[in-house]
Amino acid sequence: MKENSQRDAVVWRMLIGRVGVARLAAVVAALLFWEVAARYRVDPQFLSPPSRIVLAMPSLFETPGVPAALWTAFWEFGVAFVIAVAIGLPVGLAIGLSRLSRQSFMPIVLLLYGMPQIVILPLLVLWLGIGPLSKITFGASHGVFPISIAVVAGVQNIQPILMVAAQSMGARRWQIFRWVIFPHMIPSFFAGMRLGMAGVLLGVLLAELYVSAAGIGYFTLMFTQSFDPSRLLGLIAVLAVMAIALNVALRRAELHFARWRTD
Amino acid sequence: MAKSDVAVRIRDVSHQFGEPGDARFVHALQRTSLDIRRGELICLIGPSGCGKSTLLNIIGGLLAPTTGTIEVDAKPVRGPLPHDIAFVFQENALFPWCTVKENVMLGMRFQGVSRTEQEKRARDALAAVGLNDFMAHHPAQLSGGMRQRAALARALSLQTDILLMDEPFGALDEQTRIVLGEDLSVLLARAAKTIVFVTHSLGEAVFLADRVAVFSARPGMVKASIDIDEPHPRKPGFVTTEKFSDLRNKLYGLLHDEIRKSVESAAVTELNA
Amino acid sequence: MSAPRKQHEKLLSRGLQFSFLLGLLLVWYLATARWGVSRILLPAPATVWRELDDVLRSGEFLPHLRVTLIELASAFAIACTFGLGSGYLISRTRYAMAVFEPLLASIYSVPMILLLPLYVLFFGLGSGSKIALGATVSFFPIVLSTIAGFGSVERIFVTSARSMGASNAQMFRYVLLPAALPVVVTGLRMGFTIALLAILGSETIASFAGLGHKIAQLAEAMETARMFAYIAFAVAIVAILNIITTALERRVKLQ
Repeated sequence: MKENSQRDAVVWRMLIGRVGVARLAAVVAALLFWEVAARYRVDPQFLSPPSRIVLAMPSLFETPGVPAALWTAFWEFGVAFVIAVAIGLPVGLAIGLSRLSRQSFMPIVLLLYGMPQIVILPLLVLWLGIGPLSKITFGASHGVFPISIAVVAGVQNIQPILMVAAQSMGARRWQIFRWVIFPHMIPSFFAGMRLGMAGVLLGVLLAELYVSAAGIGYFTLMFTQSFDPSRLLGLIAVLAVMAIALNVALRRAELHFARWRTD
Repeated sequence: MAKSDVAVRIRDVSHQFGEPGDARFVHALQRTSLDIRRGELICLIGPSGCGKSTLLNIIGGLLAPTTGTIEVDAKPVRGPLPHDIAFVFQENALFPWCTVKENVMLGMRFQGVSRTEQEKRARDALAAVGLNDFMAHHPAQLSGGMRQRAALARALSLQTDILLMDEPFGALDEQTRIVLGEDLSVLLARAAKTIVFVTHSLGEAVFLADRVAVFSARPGMVKASIDIDEPHPRKPGFVTTEKFSDLRNKLYGLLHDEIRKSVESAAVTELNA
Repeated sequence: MSAPRKQHEKLLSRGLQFSFLLGLLLVWYLATARWGVSRILLPAPATVWRELDDVLRSGEFLPHLRVTLIELASAFAIACTFGLGSGYLISRTRYAMAVFEPLLASIYSVPMILLLPLYVLFFGLGSGSKIALGATVSFFPIVLSTIAGFGSVERIFVTSARSMGASNAQMFRYVLLPAALPVVVTGLRMGFTIALLAILGSETIASFAGLGHKIAQLAEAMETARMFAYIAFAVAIVAILNIITTALERRVKLQ
């Protein structure tokens, strides 16, 4: 039996080594396919090969207003995220710490979370205008729910024995909250923040794309109407990279804070 | 004021969970009385569900009994007494996000010990249980036996007169249990505490205890008690003596019927559910 | 906890829920009736109700609903075909799973709405771009759950079936499919839901038909009361579809 598992381990190690390479190869193959198809088969009005997109990057950033639009979207995201956390954490704690409020308000929260918020977007823009306020609000409202729900879960699923042990050692209620419940909830909180971040980003992007009078939405409209796939895809690529970077950063933070978890 | 001879006085304590007629009603303890002498190590043993853990929680002030009273050092028990009583639980009651040392110090913080004193006591307690090299580890990184040592260190650092241990080795494998049992005996010989130790294991009870109180099946009460006259610390060789076997057999005789009764009633509950 | 106390708590929580929702409704009413909030921005509840009634009775919603549903059905069909197919193929070897699954998962982490302008460039403002986006978004949960479902069938089941002489087709039908079904079905439901959201979103942003578009159009025309009605309608449609798909999922899982 031991022999088998040792052999498996060696095979696995060889496999892993190749897997990373294979993945890279798959990505490169896809890019090549895109390059060839876009260059020789598709009307250049509709699709650009990756090479041309990369080459168009400088011109994209030189287009007046594009860097500003990107920067605006970025800080709108930042503000919306901070607001989502600032609201989501206390609300989650308030709901999670008492059984009565959990029973009463969790169903409402879950109901609101399941609602398609996109249908409110035009209303929000009507109310708050086409400036950053509507985008920040729409983004924050997407992020609040995952964060609250995760905080409630983190508070709720603490093993009762830990509370009993603290009580037996003389801990008072605020001590139990500060030293037992709060640290226990932190990994869930970070998981919720990761989901919340994705939600906020989606909300902000949706709002930006919807408002075609200015910002990202203006440029996507412009590049679409002028059949400029290179700059359009370039813009999309920049936003995609931003999304990936944020996700990686938050995943790192989540892993760091959840080190002690065994589950 | 001289402390009385009786550390814990249990008088006519009974306990039930829920009301008769509830789906979840459990009559855990019948009227039980017991005097626990200062400095003795008494084991509570009995079949599953006989209420021994319930009684332990009641002694420790974590549960208010349906009837009866508990007195610790002649004071009635109305809630946790962190300065008099420390617990060691069976499940992992160590805080997973704290290191071993932080766990021990957090317990003292709850008790109200000063920061410098916390440091000193933590180091001493962890050294006493043999975990000097693991102070900065998290519980998840330790084996089950080491975790229970850490839990024991936490309880010892609180420097209470009374220690309540609820099947502390229940989740461990037999070999670890044996080693920990021997170490515990050595430790407790030095410490001079009153200890109430709940266990399922006959051998463990005979090895560790000065007195073994045998519980009947649910609803539980103390059916009989056996004195074990053997000096502390108990030597590992004690287990092989004839005296040990006699005592163990006597215990077995008292317990066997109760175990059968509890298994059968559990089966009936299963069928009726 | 004893039974009467539990009942008491349940009643209390229901009471709190009702008061909360009633409170919101009250605030809405007061805002328009007493506190002088502009009727254009926030129509009175009664007005919204009237508009909703009118929309439903006149059947004005029908063409928009039809467009949205057709886009949804097409997008989902495409996503299922590609998702189930490639998911199953990838799940056949551990190697393929190790290569592709993380790749697909990380692509999925990018908000797909970014592709909408590209699709609009490609397909125009009509249904094509919505279907394309819906299919793209929906593809990922389906393929990932198909990989997970088929890829994690316990080896022991496969081994014992093979030892009893099962052919590949029998293996698929009697071992792999039933074992993978619960996970795959959940993925299908998730894909359906997310396709609907993507389609509503893309209709709102760039379209000339469909429910999402209608709402955006009414916002631009400042016909807020009617817009509220359509919002309520759209929410109801989403809720109904969610209930149906969840019920279907449960049905399949209980088999």
